[in-house]
Amino acid sequence: MSYIEIRGLKKRFGDNVVLDGIDLDIEKGEVVAVIGPSGTGKSTLLRSLNLLETPEAGTFKIGGETYQLTTKKSAEKRALRQQTEMVFQQFNLFRNRNVLENVMEGLTTVKKLPKDEAGRRALTQLEKVDMLDRLHHYPRHLSGGQQQRVAIARALAMEPKLLLMDEPTSALDPELVGEVLVTIRKAAQEGNTCLLVTHEMNFVKSVASRIVFLENGKIVAQGTPREIFDNPQNERLKQFLNKINMLESMEYVI
Amino acid sequence: MGVLFDWKLVFSQIPDILRYLPTTVELTLVATFIGYAIGLLLALVKIHRVPVLRQLAAFFISIIRGTPILVQLYITYYGIPLTLKYINLIHGTNYNINSIPPVIFAIIALGLNQSAFDSEIIRAAIQSVDNGQLEAARALGMTGGQVLRRVILPQAVTVALPSLGNSLIGLIKGTSLAFTVAVIDMTAQGRILAGRNFRYFEAYCSLAIIYWVITIALEKLFKYLEKRFSVPEEAPAAEKKVAGLIRAFRASRNAAPRDGLKLPEPEENV
Ligand SMILES: Nc1ncnc2c1ncn2[C@@H]1O[C@H](COP(=O)(O)OP(=O)(O)O)[C@@H](O)[C@H]1O
Ligand SMILES: [Mg+2]
Repeated sequence: MSYIEIRGLKKRFGDNVVLDGIDLDIEKGEVVAVIGPSGTGKSTLLRSLNLLETPEAGTFKIGGETYQLTTKKSAEKRALRQQTEMVFQQFNLFRNRNVLENVMEGLTTVKKLPKDEAGRRALTQLEKVDMLDRLHHYPRHLSGGQQQRVAIARALAMEPKLLLMDEPTSALDPELVGEVLVTIRKAAQEGNTCLLVTHEMNFVKSVASRIVFLENGKIVAQGTPREIFDNPQNERLKQFLNKINMLESMEYVI
Repeated sequence: MGVLFDWKLVFSQIPDILRYLPTTVELTLVATFIGYAIGLLLALVKIHRVPVLRQLAAFFISIIRGTPILVQLYITYYGIPLTLKYINLIHGTNYNINSIPPVIFAIIALGLNQSAFDSEIIRAAIQSVDNGQLEAARALGMTGGQVLRRVILPQAVTVALPSLGNSLIGLIKGTSLAFTVAVIDMTAQGRILAGRNFRYFEAYCSLAIIYWVITIALEKLFKYLEKRFSVPEEAPAAEKKVAGLIRAFRASRNAAPRDGLKLPEPEENV
């Protein structure tokens, strides 16, 4: 019995079968990285777990509760959504709220915490992402890297059992990627359970406890960074790593 | 007849006309409220493509846009009593048609007219809020109502304010037609005064001045609101509302400093 168990997750768009029965276990404190070719359903996987997509089938066990991912009941959907939080590629901060308000919003509106308590929690998280000196800035006054750090604080303030991150650094200028990766690494080291989609393979190598290779709606291979990068067994995985120049085994060296 | 144009009268009768300013304001405020409420409903029906209701909404908006407000006033004025009579006849009820104050007709007609025009403004404003923020709100676990109240409407208001301001100014001027359904508003009062001394030109000049001043005041008000609601150009240094909270937090940190107060610099090339 794992901390998190995803079973039989299926999602299609019209005739396009994007997730074809995904089973995935995640242990508490694990950082699982999802890699795979573009358009293969990595985003759809994360979004399905947060019900930003509506899967056709699948269950999601988290924190001792099992949720039907196909539920139509909005109360159940909200209960499930509060188990996870999402960090988006485009940050998606509330543009009409400043940094502090962005992080407090979920705490006061969803968790109904009193303002003082919400403020304390928000400040605690903002301290961790090193944004205490920008509390009254609005998203438009922040760099992409700063916005993403606030978004991470907003997600962590909700104390999710699983933190979902969909290419959190892909929309950033190269010089801003580092500060966000540092923040994510810190969140991982503090014991937050994470499911992360990223193309930052060096980061994955050093931070992920496990890597999942997704292709054509299926988990084709998974293992530790060593197993995946240094000794890939699966042909498709080898081809993929080769394409992104992450494979240095002899047979591909020209 | 004395002078050809009694300009003194233009100003001296303004207070007499302004006695009916409350009627104009009442008409405007209630019609605006109806306009926003129904306009929001129409906008939501359109955005969510609610079957049947969507077609009805489009039909309603098309009619309102395609007919003069004067005609709409008369249709309400004659149509509502007719409907009540019909209901009385069918159900044997006894609603008193003559007890309806005329201002009700004007409010209904103007309110519905506003709702058709405001619905378009509101729809565009709501759809200007990017989907990413809505997903973020839902991911936090907000209900649909919370997303609307906490995320969509505050931002939509900022976008819609200039157009809603124009619409309100149009409405204030539109209330001047209320006299056609027997409401005594400022315009009606102006006509009544003129009917006594036959100074029609002066009466309309007085009215012109009053409406013009009101319009300018409203324009200023909306400029102010726009500024007030929009995200400031530059990041504000601090806010009083949360100053205490932050002070307390910093104090607690200084009292019990922990390591990790500052994030370590990126030590490796990730
Ligand atoms: N809203 C949608 N409607 C239709 N097709 C979609 C939608 N979202 C994603 N898809 C399709 O699903 C597939 C997987 O997309 P996605 O999960 O975004 O891939 P990845 O994140 O791995 O690049 C793609 O073929 C994409 O075109
Ligand atoms: Mg993607």
